Amino acid sequence: METSLVKEKVSNVLVSVLEHNNFEMHDELTAKDVDGWDSLSHMMIITKIEEHFGIKFKLRDLNKLKNMGSLINVIQSKI
Amino acid sequence: MVFNSFNFVAFIIPVLLLYWVVFKRTKTLQNIFLLLASVFFYVWADWRFLVLLVTSTLVNFYLGLKIHETEEDRKRSIYLYLGVIFNVGLLLYFKYFNFFYQGFFELLNFFGVESSYNSLTILLPLGISFFTFQTLGYLIDVFNEEVEPTKDFLDFSVFVAFFPKILSGPIERAAGFIPQIQEKRVLTYNVFVDGLRQILWGLFAKIVVAENCAAIANPIFNDYQDKPGSVLLLGTFFYAIQLYADFSGYSNMAIGISKLFGIQLMRNFATPFFSTNISDFWRKWHISLTTWMLDYVFTPLSFILRRHQKKGLIFSIVITFVLVGFWHGANWTFVAYGLLHGIYFIPLVYKGKMNSSEIVAKGKQIPSLKELSKMIALFILIMLTDVFFRANSVSHALDYLKRIFSFSIVDVPNTILNTTTLVTIVLIFFFVFIEWINRERKHDFEINSYNIFIRWGSYILIFLLLLFFGRSAETFIYFQF
Repeated sequence: METSLVKEKVSNVLVSVLEHNNFEMHDELTAKDVDGWDSLSHMMIITKIEEHFGIKFKLRDLNKLKNMGSLINVIQSKI
Repeated sequence: MVFNSFNFVAFIIPVLLLYWVVFKRTKTLQNIFLLLASVFFYVWADWRFLVLLVTSTLVNFYLGLKIHETEEDRKRSIYLYLGVIFNVGLLLYFKYFNFFYQGFFELLNFFGVESSYNSLTILLPLGISFFTFQTLGYLIDVFNEEVEPTKDFLDFSVFVAFFPKILSGPIERAAGFIPQIQEKRVLTYNVFVDGLRQILWGLFAKIVVAENCAAIANPIFNDYQDKPGSVLLLGTFFYAIQLYADFSGYSNMAIGISKLFGIQLMRNFATPFFSTNISDFWRKWHISLTTWMLDYVFTPLSFILRRHQKKGLIFSIVITFVLVGFWHGANWTFVAYGLLHGIYFIPLVYKGKMNSSEIVAKGKQIPSLKELSKMIALFILIMLTDVFFRANSVSHALDYLKRIFSFSIVDVPNTILNTTTLVTIVLIFFFVFIEWINRERKHDFEINSYNIFIRWGSYILIFLLLLFFGRSAETFIYFQF
């Protein structure tokens, strides 16, 4: 899947979980920069992404998620 | 050998001189010397557990390498499990054996099986709760490929045993600590002076604030039955300040002493009482423990339970905080303390404000009325919960709290209305004031940007306060953990 498409899908997940779109998708984006992205919504986002892309994260993947860029990379490595 | 003793001064001055004059040439020389000094320091504190410390260092060093070099996933996991069993096993045996042993027999008796037991005399090795968490975190990081294990046994030994942090933390992470000792350290004036400042502030917090508060709180807690609710309530106030000043004071001294050797330890307290909710508080209180628990307990647990959404999250938070409490010691009081803190998070989970952590009244001089009232409400909640931390048993804590909330809460607290209390309150005001104005800085007493008169004025003032109001202190609250 193309990076831009993955990004778009992830962005849709964020909007549906966080219920706003006050963020800009770029590789350096972190949870801290986005309103309402806390421990709970983080796990909800992870779960939704798993459903959307039909993938399963491992705990080890989770530790590698430092920003949007690394999230996109991990997703791409799994599909 | 506590930091605030003449023995320690007699130890640290020659050690610093040798470190920066004789052993400064290579990083290996520096590390050899640091290790020798650390072993000396640990043996001085308690020689009996040196074998344990050495064994733990060897086993964890070996397992770290093994996890890294093994390719097969299953085998890697086995090495990690061995490490978990080893480190947790040490803790369980030395710290919790009697707790579970006693619990087992009480359970038997409860079910009508008559049995009696004698608890074993097990000495608690100094610093065990701190160094086992540090090495366990190291193995998990290596397993998760967050860090590469060091192949240098000397470096690893210094990571485990570095004397400023061996007794009570901060619980360092390999990723932050090890790279620093893999390079030669160079003496820099600014870092050295900043270290001295931090030591001075820690010393003030410990021997002036904590010890004066202890002098008021101890008699109240020791004989609480004959005192009115008002005095008991004030007792919890002084104890809450004592606990904070004691441990943050220790931490500032440990971090400051490290700086003298050109090594930066992690921040352990970030003015936690200037918080407006419980999540914010725990992000600023005993940071090295809470981030440890966040990474190695909370995150995995909430990940496993991610499909249960809010319920899964609440369960993970409560379990994490029960463990935070239990880490402090083998007593139900600590379990209750952790459980209560876990429960305080529940409204935040529903409000979706879990991760809101910010500096209160950022860029302003005074907080808004709303911020102030939230801070005070949170402080009162924490102060009352600290009764569990201080009490010998849960029933003692409950009895204490019950007596606070009685009609005698409006009595005039005669027994503690005296000059000592008044002076202590003024000292607490000064302490809180300095922490407030420095709350946006890297540590509580980072005053390098102030002009020379303010800086030297503060040093002289604090020195005088130490001289006139300092009390001798043989130990720190956190040494027992």
